[in-house]
Amino acid sequence: MALFQIFDPVAPPTPIGIDLGTTHSLVAHMVDGRPECVLDCDLSPLLPSVVHYLEHGGVMVGTEAKGKAALHPRETLVSAKRFMGRGADDPETTRLGPYDFAMPGPGESNSVRFKVRGRAVTPVEVSAEILRVLRTNAEAKLRTVGGAVITVPAYFDEAQRQATKDAAKLAGLEVLRLLNEPTAAALAYGLDKGRTRGTFAVFDLGGGTFDVTILSLDDGVFQVRSTGGDAQLGGDDMDRLFAEWALGHMGVDPATASPELVRAALDAARVAKHELTDRPTTVIAVTAGELSFERSIRRTEFEDLVRPVVERTTPAVKRALRDAGLRPEEVDGVILVGGSTRVPAVREHVKKLFGQEPLSDIDPDQVVAFGAAIQADLLAGDGAKDDALILDVIPLSLGLETMGGVAEKILPRNTTIPAGRAQQFTTYADGQTGFELHVVQGERELAADNRSLAKFVLRGIPPLPAGAAKLEVTFRVDADGMLTVTARELNTGIEQRIEVTPSFGLSGDDVERMLLESYEHAESDLATRQLRERITDAERVIAATEAALRVDGDLLDEDERAELDGAMRALREVIAAQDGKKVHLRTEGLDRATQPLAERRMDRAVQQAMKGRAVAEIEDTVKDRPEHPHLAASYAKDAETDKETR
Amino acid sequence: MTDPFELLGLARRFSLDRAALEQRHRDLSRTLHPDRYVQAPPGERRMALERAVAVNEAFRALRDPLTRAEALLTLHGLSVGDADRPAPALLMEVMDLREALDEARRSPHKVAALLDQVRARSRAEESALASAFDADDAPDAAALGRARDALVRLKYFRRFEDEADAALDY
Ligand SMILES: Nc1ncnc2c1ncn2[C@@H]1O[C@H](COP(=O)(O)OP(=O)(O)O)[C@@H](O)[C@H]1O
Ligand SMILES: [Mg+2]
Repeated sequence: MALFQIFDPVAPPTPIGIDLGTTHSLVAHMVDGRPECVLDCDLSPLLPSVVHYLEHGGVMVGTEAKGKAALHPRETLVSAKRFMGRGADDPETTRLGPYDFAMPGPGESNSVRFKVRGRAVTPVEVSAEILRVLRTNAEAKLRTVGGAVITVPAYFDEAQRQATKDAAKLAGLEVLRLLNEPTAAALAYGLDKGRTRGTFAVFDLGGGTFDVTILSLDDGVFQVRSTGGDAQLGGDDMDRLFAEWALGHMGVDPATASPELVRAALDAARVAKHELTDRPTTVIAVTAGELSFERSIRRTEFEDLVRPVVERTTPAVKRALRDAGLRPEEVDGVILVGGSTRVPAVREHVKKLFGQEPLSDIDPDQVVAFGAAIQADLLAGDGAKDDALILDVIPLSLGLETMGGVAEKILPRNTTIPAGRAQQFTTYADGQTGFELHVVQGERELAADNRSLAKFVLRGIPPLPAGAAKLEVTFRVDADGMLTVTARELNTGIEQRIEVTPSFGLSGDDVERMLLESYEHAESDLATRQLRERITDAERVIAATEAALRVDGDLLDEDERAELDGAMRALREVIAAQDGKKVHLRTEGLDRATQPLAERRMDRAVQQAMKGRAVAEIEDTVKDRPEHPHLAASYAKDAETDKETR
Repeated sequence: MTDPFELLGLARRFSLDRAALEQRHRDLSRTLHPDRYVQAPPGERRMALERAVAVNEAFRALRDPLTRAEALLTLHGLSVGDADRPAPALLMEVMDLREALDEARRSPHKVAALLDQVRARSRAEESALASAFDADDAPDAAALGRARDALVRLKYFRRFEDEADAALDY
């Protein structure tokens, strides 16, 4: 056994996978083709997602912080993930909990803000503290960490995803990809078990979120068929119901209980809940200051209490099955993920819903982080064609508000990403010179009932009679599930493009400011950091170009080759001279010079993909395969293109 | 419009082997998906993204018989818009179905039965589309006319299916 780990000084940075959970967070990486978690200082892979704010600045994260919650319930933030991407007036802020919330000040974005030691802290900042510790732990083990895949609940909306990305940025992490948690779990399962084919359901009930995903695995391609869930449903809700019950028995009104008592009741409820997983009866004990309460409780009583939480998973499961065009018995395996699937009543429920015994042979606590590490490793690799591939979907329909407040779906839920679609709209009034676009996310008929993502106005359209202007709106969702909307007036060519920064999120400026404020970055010189980043980018482009030339150099004629070599040489010169500005410019130059090569390489690859397997041959190999009768038959909006918008 | 059949290298027909379509989509995704280009220079990344989006869009269009029929009609220079009203008999039928759905709303079994009934009607229209588009010779004006009528009906049935399907959420 090696006693010392020898660090290879030129070893490339190790890509990492992060499960940023409501209750626990983990970081994992690949070792000899297998995922492994990094241990926290207490030798557990699970870092409690708890952040304690100290009196004189600074924070404590994890187990240590958790120990502070009882005495400092307001300064110790637990389950901050439930508030990610939420507005200050979100219903979540009114549920049982010890926190004090601050309203956004003038000019501040409408994010939830916790009042902690006289300042306001956003959930993004809290998450960034957790990510920072994970990064530090990983660095201690791996020396240099590369990019990170961070998992998010599949049912996270645009705002919640953006908030997660912002948190990573604050923590100084390069995000390779946001990966949906159930998909990560399936990836870990599929690869671990050497399965090559089949349809699986992932049932993921954690502390604060619930996801169900149906996916099929075929020759290493994991294709998500449908996904559903509830981004605010989990074990925390059981704890709340249980705690409210205990407070009730103590004769305390949950609405007026002190933060200490609320914290104590929630903690006692969780402890008792865990005990009831292993035995039929236990004692719940709440103590806070003078008050104390003890009562024995049977598992059946507890199950009656939390039945509403368990039942709330049913509609999403049924909907996901219907969207995938499957009956429960057509699912080849049900994968359980998340700590709350340990609750016997939850297992029973899952068994009933799918009519089969679920699988849980990989540790449900670690499986998501494992999947993230596998994906990080794949993304950092050379993109070899036989690597596993994930084809994920958008969880919620994306659309625009049209006349009469109706939400017109442009990309329906369960559309495979990356996705893009354009739709044309027209004016409804004579001489209308602006279009107001309201981007919404959700399944409801009326725009007002859906999540509002962004509003923007396309101006400067020449006055035309009603119906004469033609507005083309393009929705584009990338592989992270992030949306960009572009609007263009077709007669004039006036165009406007927005990265949809959700109305509830932080603005790009907010994030930049926080980045500057955070002690870690304030110290490092901005210019040095920028130069380093630019050089890394430049080296990446050079390495990629060289690799492409080695394989497909024959696609260029002599002149083209000489031009490319010249562009690379010119870039290397300015790297050597450490001239940041020129490095940036010449990187762009090289990138442009490689376009013809890239285009031809891609054409070649596509031809190989299509020729490699004649359709007749495909038909042979797929004959014995079960077919999915109507996958997402739900897509059936009619194709009239000229809709009026307001 | 880009031809989704051409993009996926499949014959321009209404009847198509679902499994073959999915296989093609997987093969192309393996080549073009953004995950394969994370380490690539930005220009190449953008290019791959454009193509992956186009492939997914073509896959979506061909996967569903309704959008597949629309694509075929468009490729033949026709389109189906608001102006295409179905025969009064069909409107009556759909109205009756809607009423039945309103009454059945709280009973999943009844909704499911209605749904099955309408799905059978949709499948009949899909057969009509297949015979209109897939004859040995390229479809003539009469065949395209029949296809268009079948598509209009299919759309009505599908809209009803969606409503019924949504009603099952309660
Ligand atoms: N043995 C157990 N019995 C019942 N619930 C459990 C058990 N272990 C963990 N949990 C619950 O699982 C939830 C945390 O699950 P986890 O997967 O870590 O969530 P997240 O991914 O949201 O952080 C908590 O609500 C916790 O109480
Ligand atoms: Mg989790």
